[in-house]
Amino acid sequence: MVILQGVVSGIVVERAEPGVEVVVVTGEHDLSTAPELERRLEAALDSGQPVVIDLLGTTFIDSTVLRVLICAREQAGERSVGFRCALGETTGHGVRRLLELTGMEDRLSAVPTRADAIAGAAAQA
Amino acid sequence: MTGRVSETAMTPLSSGFELELAAETDNVPLVRHALRGLLEASGVGEERISDITLAVTEACANAVLHAYPHTGGQFEASAALSAAGELVVTVRDHGSGMAPRVDSPGLGVGLPVMAAIADALEIDTPDGAGTIVRMTFDVATATAP
Repeated sequence: MVILQGVVSGIVVERAEPGVEVVVVTGEHDLSTAPELERRLEAALDSGQPVVIDLLGTTFIDSTVLRVLICAREQAGERSVGFRCALGETTGHGVRRLLELTGMEDRLSAVPTRADAIAGAAAQA
Repeated sequence: MTGRVSETAMTPLSSGFELELAAETDNVPLVRHALRGLLEASGVGEERISDITLAVTEACANAVLHAYPHTGGQFEASAALSAAGELVVTVRDHGSGMAPRVDSPGLGVGLPVMAAIADALEIDTPDGAGTIVRMTFDVATATAP
């Protein structure tokens, strides 16, 4: 865990109603944390429950992390597991900038709030 | 002891850092944080810092991931910020050069991202001596008045 300016870089998995696995990604993430993120996402996908990746408190990602996110989205599709990313106004500029430069935001099934993401993932079957 | 404090010039002509680090992934955020510290101290705005640290993270990731497919090693990262507001960041590795890899853990977008963000990007691959990436960023207009 790294603490920068009071923002903890962490990965926490929560279970939200109605049985959706929410992977909350906070702070900065790059190739140093990408393997751990990948493990946590695989475990969430293995649960068979719909999965949400909450990027509302993510301040920075690099292309290694972006690849992990996109692969998780594709895995969910292949397994017919509901999936959404929550990407909103509180998501850091760094995240948005990378998505804009790579044109990959539409490959993340992104919606602007956590509630939208949970509802969307749960509804998708 | 008279209690008098002598005044010294408080405006450096330039500032920066030079780091020599093991080519390990944990050292990439270290470079990013050092760069953020340098830019924040110079009053550069958050969005510009965000962009620049993205480009530099991608360059350092390349140094760590691609330079040493089989063995460990070192990489160097340096930053120099002139009083005129020009930031030059150099990332150097001593690995096997820039042959494309199909097993990259990334998306292969590091170079285009760096090129899109930096005002100038130079890549040098001296024979048998790794790769040197030099990025120039104009931050003069990004600082608060």
